[in-house]
Amino acid sequence: MGRDAILKSIKNNKPTLIPSAEINLESFEEEIDVLTAFKEKVALVGGTIIELDSVKNIDTKIKSLYPNISKIISCVDESQLGTILISEKTDPHKLESIELAIVKGELGVAENGAVWISENDFPIRVLPFITNDLILILNKKNICSNLHEAYKLIGKRKRTFGLFISGPSKTADIEQCLVIGAQGAMSLTILLIDN
Amino acid sequence: MNHAKKAAIFNKNEAKVNWHDKALWYVREKRDNAAHDVRGWEYLREVASGIKANVLSDLDTYLIEFESNATKNGIKVHWASDAEEHNKIVHKVLETHNAKKVVKSKSMLTEECHLNPYLESKGIEVVDTDLGEYIVQIAKETPSHIVLPAIHKTKEEVDALFQEHLGTTPSNGNPEYLTNEARKHLRNKFLEADVAITGVNFAVAETGGIVVCTNEGNADMGAHLAPVHIACMGIEKIIPKEEHLGVFLRLLARSATGQPITTYSSHFNKPSEGSELHIIIVDNGRTEQLSREDFRSSLHCIRCGACMNTCPIYRRSGGHSYDATIPGPIGSILSPGKDLTKHSSLPFASTLCGSCSNVCPVKINIHEQLYKWRQLIVKDVKQPVVKKTVLKIVGKVLRNRTLYNLAGKSARFMLKYAPRFMVYSKLNAWGKARELPEIKNENFDTWYKINRKNNG
Amino acid sequence: MRVGLFIPCYINQLYPQVAIATLELLEKLNVDVYYPNEQTCCGQPLGNSGYEDDSKGACEVFVENFKEYDYIVGPSGSCIYHVKKHFDILEQTSEVIKVRNNAYELCEFIVKVLGKTDLGAKFPHKVGLHKSCHGLRGLHLGSCSERMDPHFSTEEDLLNNVNGLELMSLNRKDECCGFGGTFSVFEEAISVKMGKDRIQDHLDNGVEVITGADHSCLMHLEGMINRNNQPIKVMHIAEILNSSI
Repeated sequence: MGRDAILKSIKNNKPTLIPSAEINLESFEEEIDVLTAFKEKVALVGGTIIELDSVKNIDTKIKSLYPNISKIISCVDESQLGTILISEKTDPHKLESIELAIVKGELGVAENGAVWISENDFPIRVLPFITNDLILILNKKNICSNLHEAYKLIGKRKRTFGLFISGPSKTADIEQCLVIGAQGAMSLTILLIDN
Repeated sequence: MNHAKKAAIFNKNEAKVNWHDKALWYVREKRDNAAHDVRGWEYLREVASGIKANVLSDLDTYLIEFESNATKNGIKVHWASDAEEHNKIVHKVLETHNAKKVVKSKSMLTEECHLNPYLESKGIEVVDTDLGEYIVQIAKETPSHIVLPAIHKTKEEVDALFQEHLGTTPSNGNPEYLTNEARKHLRNKFLEADVAITGVNFAVAETGGIVVCTNEGNADMGAHLAPVHIACMGIEKIIPKEEHLGVFLRLLARSATGQPITTYSSHFNKPSEGSELHIIIVDNGRTEQLSREDFRSSLHCIRCGACMNTCPIYRRSGGHSYDATIPGPIGSILSPGKDLTKHSSLPFASTLCGSCSNVCPVKINIHEQLYKWRQLIVKDVKQPVVKKTVLKIVGKVLRNRTLYNLAGKSARFMLKYAPRFMVYSKLNAWGKARELPEIKNENFDTWYKINRKNNG
Repeated sequence: MRVGLFIPCYINQLYPQVAIATLELLEKLNVDVYYPNEQTCCGQPLGNSGYEDDSKGACEVFVENFKEYDYIVGPSGSCIYHVKKHFDILEQTSEVIKVRNNAYELCEFIVKVLGKTDLGAKFPHKVGLHKSCHGLRGLHLGSCSERMDPHFSTEEDLLNNVNGLELMSLNRKDECCGFGGTFSVFEEAISVKMGKDRIQDHLDNGVEVITGADHSCLMHLEGMINRNNQPIKVMHIAEILNSSI
């Protein structure tokens, strides 16, 4: 039973080695405008995407999108709207009633409207899920074409926890009717900046 | 009860069959559209299949590499030979933490091991947090599809269930209302949970990390609130390098639901400060399947469900007709390996149309494996006497021209001259819903002799 | 070029008109065609039922009858697929290999080997093409809707050149009809439902005549059409092509 039995069984039963082949990534390359494709896909997956002229407009924009909320956590220097401070030591359960979280997006992926965010960007892992609404600040220069490129670009990171997040949480489990807002955040807005 | 009998019962309600069929065909069409969007899709499938073939041929090396890297990062790795061992390991972790409340996100492996009833018998509350899984849990049913567990339930049925279990007000099956009510209920469960159990979509050998994909965010809500996260995986979930995730994540959601990617693709490499992350690596018949040359590639499966959506029989019989944890075409080549007798009807629940093999993102030759299982089953599993006898006789007739001519003549005579009640008796299953052809003139042999006798 | 005509057992006995049409069509295309009269069956019904071993005798008879010919042509995608794919259970003598390599379904033979698509045929009706699975996915007679390949279809190439023939578009272009050999009997409920849905697709799209390259599918559909008195006909593609040239 257990480890030794399993490894022994595999050794006995596995076939002759089939070597791995080189992947020809050129086969997947396309002449696309990544920014346009990214914006289309974000909308397709139920997210909202807004291009800002200037980093300075971030807070103005956020206030106009969410005029009435009070429980905000900002994990980005560019936004001063945070009303609640957290650290790695904060009990995640305390974030239950957070209304809005503002997090830095590291990399956008045009083919699926996903954004890579990681533990570098927010101190408590549950934050992007437990918040009612989520805003990601993404530099429009940090958008790549597809996941093959994305993994190259994030390949050197310190690996703890990270995710590709594509749109708000959703489900179609009731008669295939798409419902936006399942267990994670109810909405996802990407503010595209340029610096 | 075998598949054919269950399917016949399912087909008594034609409206339901049409509804079920259309719902899943719609998912198949969405998959087609998403695949069209990817340049080099067929090559991508080839690449994925090649990666999995390499993995299976060096599986022990990759698992050891995975374990070493995961352990270095503070992850606790366990190994379970079978379902029972898996369940015991889960329970032991729960006991160590005095855990009484567990939240679980979608894991077909835990379904396979019947984990829920095991834990419940030990006095532990297990809540399935994927909405579809939650629905079948409160309905006390098993999932009928590996990706869309409640596809067989109408919204009215869900409405009734939620009224009973969540105290919702009647809403005629309003999906937004029902989903929101479930969100509130499940949110409390996440906040109160002692332990979160998830599945594993991919385990990366070179980093020792795992990836869990959801649309709802339920795996993450569980894993990042509870202080203990147990992730359960079959041995075949390993992939060699993190860059290979580019291949598999491009294929998975598109094949499953037609989305370009699931909402969340969460990469766990280290437990968070003060938390524990356990990974249980499970065999439960997989190393035995590995030994079967004809069926080995069924272990490529990434559990996307595309084969189910494209299968005209699955769409018209429903997952429960297969009576197996994993139904549909892939289930029909995995399950006989576990219990040949119990699942002997499954490889025959197919016309071998081949569509499943074409949609499989990891190029499992499902329809060919179905054909091969049939050869094994008739040898090893007791066949209905009538079927076996008739077919063996047919074999003798078809290799003997004289017998063949005689059989042909008799059949034609019967069809032409026997009274209708004899031809279309209960014994004639073909004739239940179909006419046999009208026998007019002579057969082709005779016609040829008369009209072309100088040739051949 | 000597061509051996292979006529599936059920066509021989129950649908001789399809065999006659196939023979006449090949003759009109100036093919030197012979009918080996000791042939029986390709063995497919046994193979698909799990009795591959018991079908060896039939397969050997097949090879014996057809080993002399340059090509073997038959009006059945599923039977030809069986010969090409599943005759691997026989010892691979040079005769077996020759037969497997040179077996052709009728449409494929006309288009690929004879290089003809326009046969000068005429059939002024609304026609629905049933793309039988073994021919489509097994013999690659055409592209299938679930794969991302450029569109092509051997049967469409022939039908689009038939004068007056209007090829109607279906909702599901290549869904299985539900025949599946013994499946039609042992999983009767699903088989019938699948057939019913196929027929309805053709009816919904204004089809007057359903055609295809595999008469097993057509036999199944026609059986249901006749039982239910539905206003639609069934003809093998050989009959359509042969009828007016």
